[in-house]
Amino acid sequence: MRKANLGVAIFLFLIGAIVMFDSVRLGWHYDPSSGPGAGFLPFYLSLGVLLCTGVFIVKQVMQLSKIGVVGDEPLIQEGGLKPILWVLIPSTGMVLLIPLIGLHFAAFVFLLFYMRVVGKIGWLECILVSVLFPIGLYIVFDRLFLIPLPDGMLGNYIKLPF
Amino acid sequence: MAENFHSLMMGISVSMQPYNFMIAMIGLVLGVIVGVLPGLGGANGVAILIPLTVAMQPISGIILLASIYWGALYGGSITSILFNIPGEPWSVATTFDGYPMAKKGHAGKALVLSFFSHFVGAVLGVIMLSFFAPLIAAFALRFGPAEIFSVMVLTFSAFVGLSGKDPYKTLVSIFIGFILAAVGMDIVTGQLRMTFGSIDLMGGFNFIVAVIGLFGLGEIFLTVEEGLKLESTEGGKVTFKDMAWGVKELLIEWKALLLGCIIGCWMGLKPGGATPASFMAYGFAKQSSKHGDEFGQGASAGIIAPEAAAHGAGTSAALPMITLGIPGSPTMAVIMGGLMIFGLLPGPMLFVEHPDFVWGFIGSCWIGNFIGLLVVLAFAPIFAAVLKIRFAIIMPIIVYVCAIGAYAVNNRLIDIYYMIGFGVVGYLFKKLDYPLAPLVLALVLGDMAESALRQALLISGGSPIVLIKPPIALPIMIAAALIFFWPSISGLIKKKRLKVGPG
Repeated sequence: MRKANLGVAIFLFLIGAIVMFDSVRLGWHYDPSSGPGAGFLPFYLSLGVLLCTGVFIVKQVMQLSKIGVVGDEPLIQEGGLKPILWVLIPSTGMVLLIPLIGLHFAAFVFLLFYMRVVGKIGWLECILVSVLFPIGLYIVFDRLFLIPLPDGMLGNYIKLPF
Repeated sequence: MAENFHSLMMGISVSMQPYNFMIAMIGLVLGVIVGVLPGLGGANGVAILIPLTVAMQPISGIILLASIYWGALYGGSITSILFNIPGEPWSVATTFDGYPMAKKGHAGKALVLSFFSHFVGAVLGVIMLSFFAPLIAAFALRFGPAEIFSVMVLTFSAFVGLSGKDPYKTLVSIFIGFILAAVGMDIVTGQLRMTFGSIDLMGGFNFIVAVIGLFGLGEIFLTVEEGLKLESTEGGKVTFKDMAWGVKELLIEWKALLLGCIIGCWMGLKPGGATPASFMAYGFAKQSSKHGDEFGQGASAGIIAPEAAAHGAGTSAALPMITLGIPGSPTMAVIMGGLMIFGLLPGPMLFVEHPDFVWGFIGSCWIGNFIGLLVVLAFAPIFAAVLKIRFAIIMPIIVYVCAIGAYAVNNRLIDIYYMIGFGVVGYLFKKLDYPLAPLVLALVLGDMAESALRQALLISGGSPIVLIKPPIALPIMIAAALIFFWPSISGLIKKKRLKVGPG
């Protein structure tokens, strides 16, 4: 966990540095004619991030060099990474499919894949859930509440009858 | 006072109108389901449904959103008690004593105790809301930009000083939240900030998307990592005998109840939210109880205190939201986001400009919490059955619904990508103990805080002294400083006491 702590702190430190860079470009001074510039608050925010993460990084490095990583808990507990990736990668896949085939069809593929391959659930149940849920949500959102959800490139070809 | 009472009655009658009543029922049922399901919490349950409210009247919309919150507050404890799985973070403390009690075969009694304590906490919170909100709002009308900014400083220093988390990490969370809020077009000068030429970043980050990612997906990652272990107990049906017993027990343990209510209302007011309130109440109740050793084995007080605190915090969190525009809990922040979509800016002016809306909302808090109690008492076993559905079916559906919610906020595909990104961030932050609530609150309040600060500085001609101007801003800022340094101050006091005390 200590290494991950350090890594995240360094990442946030870099974000702080980028924001500071940009706020200097935007003008962080108080301008007598127009008041505080657009970079005024971001500058102090990034300063805060740099200071806090800086102190934290120094503390972490000192701790690491003193006691090392011995006896440290890992960030992700044993056997925990696999189920996380099994959620993360298919959901990312679903999101990437949306521009192609639309949200509801992408969700159909995602639901079917996850339940069948990861959850090892019977075919009948899988197909029922992954067909009925997208249809139900389509009716509620797209039809009842008139919120158009992305239908992707397929939308031009497939018009649902309801 | 009489006038407020009249307004309150009017508000209750608004929320009793058939359509609004139906909306409240739907919200409550959805809320309890949201509460029961781990990985789908109050904040993102509300966030997902915000797009649906756009088609409604503002008052019906807010009744729906608030009812989901009340339902989720009630529902979280059902699974804590019956399955030892907290459906919501604020019901973790309930598992300590609720599950042992259920295991002994008193599941019905444990549920009754929890629901009744919730209700008492809610009633106290709503009473505060009804009678103090108009007073605070009237006072807050005198606030200028400097005063508004000082209240925000107070809010965020409470996170740093009173949360008990690493102050550096809390501060970083706050700063990152404000930075995310600043991305996009600057509201004053129209300049593009932190977009680095990207068109997608021009629209900035919507906090509803952030909430869905941080709390929704992040929570799912945590749940699948640990794996869901279902330890079922018998029963869960509530009988009238249980209810009579519950009332008696509440009267016996009135101290724990009162303690829970007070801690809850305090934590709701000072942006902490329901989760820390429940833990704090549990700890205090254990310390102050004569039978402290019974805690953890099914003590009634161990259910009463945290549950009353959680619901007290949940309802009283509406008070700073509606009067000052500063939500007292992450879920309230999302509800406030819903209000802003309607074009209603929470704050003292809301009482002046839309009194019927404000009182309708307060009235619905009364009705919603009361019906919520009846709903959970009657149907607890049915809601508990939701958890019997395998997680491999529920989980992808939650992800799907989250994606719909994230997209529908602004009809932007990029928001779904952000949602996944926020999910990973939420997981990492949770694991590394960076608090998420201040980040979300900073993201919500970012624009408001910044314009308040800039206006205040413009008025003063660039002198920062304006931020500590008496009579209002100065005491608030002093309070903020005291709270910010509270850990070190209380440490000093303890040290002194140790030196002086009998040794």
